[in-house]
Amino acid sequence: MKTLKVLLGSFTASLVLLSALVSASAVPGKPAPDFSVKDAAGKTHTLADYKGEWLVLEWFNKDCPYVRKHYGSNNMQSLQEKYTAQDVKWLTIISSAKGKQGYHEPAEALEVGKAHNLAASAPFLLDPSGTMGKAYDAKTTPHMYIINPEGVLVYAGAIDDNDSANPAVIPDSKNYVAAALDEVLAGKEVSTAATRPYGCTIKY
Amino acid sequence: MRIGLMQQGSLVHLTTRVVGLAITFVIACTTIFAEAKTDFSESQSAEVIEADHVRIRWLVPEQFAENPTGKTIGLYFEVDPEWHVYWQNAGDSGAAPRFAFNSEQLAVGDPQWPRPKRLPIAHLTNIGYEGNVAYLFPAQLTTNGADRVTLTADLEWLVCKEDCIPGFATLTLERPIAGDEDQWAAADAEIIAHFQARLPQPKESAPWQIDSLTFNAASAELLMTLRGSKEHGAPTAYPLDGNFVSAAEPGVTEMADGYQLRFNTASGVATPEQTDFIIVADDNAWAFSDTPLVLSGIASGVTSTPSVAPANQSLIVLIFFAFIGGIILNLMPCVFPVLSIKLFSLIQTSGQGAAAHRVREGMMYTAGVLATFAALGGIFLALRAGGSAIGWGFQLQSPVVVMALALLFWLMALSFIGAFEFGHSLMNLAGKANSRSSFATGVLAVFVAAPCTGPFMGAALGASATLPAPQAMAIFLGLGAGLAAPFLLLAISPRLSSFLPKPGAWMETLRQFLAFPLFATVIWLLWVLGKLVGDDGWLIGASLLLVVSLVIWLLRSNRITIKASAGVLVFLAVVVSLQQLQEAETSAVPVASNSAWQAFDAQKIAAARQSGQAVFIDYTAAWCITCQVNKKLVLDTDEASTLFEQHDVLRIRADWTRYDESITEALAALNRNSVPVYVFYPAGGGQEVLPQILTLDLIRELFSKS
Repeated sequence: MKTLKVLLGSFTASLVLLSALVSASAVPGKPAPDFSVKDAAGKTHTLADYKGEWLVLEWFNKDCPYVRKHYGSNNMQSLQEKYTAQDVKWLTIISSAKGKQGYHEPAEALEVGKAHNLAASAPFLLDPSGTMGKAYDAKTTPHMYIINPEGVLVYAGAIDDNDSANPAVIPDSKNYVAAALDEVLAGKEVSTAATRPYGCTIKY
Repeated sequence: MRIGLMQQGSLVHLTTRVVGLAITFVIACTTIFAEAKTDFSESQSAEVIEADHVRIRWLVPEQFAENPTGKTIGLYFEVDPEWHVYWQNAGDSGAAPRFAFNSEQLAVGDPQWPRPKRLPIAHLTNIGYEGNVAYLFPAQLTTNGADRVTLTADLEWLVCKEDCIPGFATLTLERPIAGDEDQWAAADAEIIAHFQARLPQPKESAPWQIDSLTFNAASAELLMTLRGSKEHGAPTAYPLDGNFVSAAEPGVTEMADGYQLRFNTASGVATPEQTDFIIVADDNAWAFSDTPLVLSGIASGVTSTPSVAPANQSLIVLIFFAFIGGIILNLMPCVFPVLSIKLFSLIQTSGQGAAAHRVREGMMYTAGVLATFAALGGIFLALRAGGSAIGWGFQLQSPVVVMALALLFWLMALSFIGAFEFGHSLMNLAGKANSRSSFATGVLAVFVAAPCTGPFMGAALGASATLPAPQAMAIFLGLGAGLAAPFLLLAISPRLSSFLPKPGAWMETLRQFLAFPLFATVIWLLWVLGKLVGDDGWLIGASLLLVVSLVIWLLRSNRITIKASAGVLVFLAVVVSLQQLQEAETSAVPVASNSAWQAFDAQKIAAARQSGQAVFIDYTAAWCITCQVNKKLVLDTDEASTLFEQHDVLRIRADWTRYDESITEALAALNRNSVPVYVFYPAGGGQEVLPQILTLDLIRELFSKS
């Protein structure tokens, strides 16, 4: 019986060990893909910079009606203000390729940020090569991700449960990102860890 | 808030429209122009909506009949060329239109969606309609005596090319109620009929039915099997649940009696119990609602798994296979020495009560085997119920167990060859004949037999992965009964045991000889340890064996201090080696496979099969002896390599030496949970599972057929 105990114990231990070794991909419960992207002010951001902190990623394209839904109504900026005030870091990424809708040169991106009252933790992250967007399999603007202090993805998907482009539906929508952040900041598990993102195709 | 780009787009568009039209319409167009410039959040309200790239109007009777029979009305979206609107599941981006009707006289039901098409946009797939489309609605008059129908519809839609333009509007309607028949404008009635013909029909009228819908959590693939006639050609299918099933075109494989469709699914989304599809073939569509999902693999939990079990193999047959497999296990190189020594020590007993003694020993041995199988089976089932995906042989995926076995065999071999006289307890394991040691031999036999999955065992063990707990346990016990049977028979039958040679000096010689298969087993276990934890595994394991040997030598001393220090030494050796093993395990890198064989990658395999390349998968493990033999004698021979190369076969080596979730799942999808398994996917589709003992002829046959 002693052998069996050893067997059971070591098997469980190796299971735990192996689950930590699985490769990175943008799937809730797994380590978030690494990134290294410059923001509009020229500062480089990597996933490692945010170790130990809660991090929200948001994909942006100013000409997308769904982004306008959440920025025109001030919904997105309120979320950014509310959670960065609680020490959550928030990065807003533009993955539009050069020549495609939503692409901005750094100087222009700074102005767009100002015009949109962007309240993220840094100026727009500029990812014209699409490397970061593709690593995260980001599909739409706005596509939202939450990463925990250990670098594990805890939420990926839509900002809320109403894919209407009409800002009037926002008050009655369930905001998945706010719900997940409230849960994790209260030390709870995220109840909805993945949803179908909605919005405009990212213009890679 | 409309932005400049989009305004320009609509200006250009409207200009072309103006040029293209007769002068008499110029005034009308100017009105459209003015309307299009208004903010989209300010809804239009009219019987016809002219919006950016889409014109929306009613499809209703000119005059509604007085009798309240059900009818179909529609909303007609006339979409500019290259622009599109969406189906109920819009796919990776986009959005389905929304409709809200309001009328005192007419009850309007839920939308009916004509069959859509896939619209690839960059790396994404949307589902919708290019060109004009009518969304249809069942409707019925609800009032008696009213002479007019008034109806409004609040609409929201998204019209896209690469960019998307959302729209909001309210359509209004007022029509007289009179007469016995609805009066339709002929053109509108035709449009309704055209799109009614494109609505999905009930699944009962389909040429095939969904035989199974299997979700493989490891590969995140959903496999739909359609069985029936092929009169309509290859189908495609559209999932209604865009949260769970990816919108991308499914891979279609033709089978003898139907088709198999392979969908990707979204990661991390909760798996639904059932899901809906419409399946389209040859301009016909059928709705398949609430199809239950079968989860493949052990991780899927116990409730849904029974349906995965092969229906054509009854439990009796599986238990029989397990029993035969168990008997064959007796001949495996790791089991045979242990059992023969035990048996010879047993026949040595003679004199009064010897027969009764043998029967008791045989029974105890059988009890040991069965108890161990029951215990391992219990752990296996408990882990399965807990959601872990595991397979048979999981004992040897733990480096600690492998090292312990190596140590045990080392000590036994030393004892056999007479290098040491062991203490009472260790000798019990294989030597002296008493009831407790017979039980222990049974336990040991099961542990050392685990790596040797032999012929007949694969199917039975595989089924145990998916069967409900009582049946799975019956299979484990069947295997145990098979393993115990030869020994038990020899022990209890005086006639059979009379065939055995008489005891004598030769037994000492045989015992010494049998030490060598055990030494060989130690070498093999150290090699397995190396595969499990990397090169350090060898060193750690061999060092431990050395220290333990030294300790045993020290123990021969009469001096108590030396005996005590030997005890300390062996304790330290075990602790240090366990710790080293843990460290080595964390730093171990997967063993690189040689160039011809590639590592297991579900996506790569799926991609190759979709592109029509043949695939051969070798499910193997370092601790599986049968696997190593097949590899050396067949798979890695020059002739096999040449055959594989000539036929452009993608060769995959799925190494299960360490625990690997995706390989475990893939095995479970084949109804197996042990290795070896050899699967060949011919270029033309289909799947062939080869026997567990390979020959070059079998490999040649694979290609002579195709």
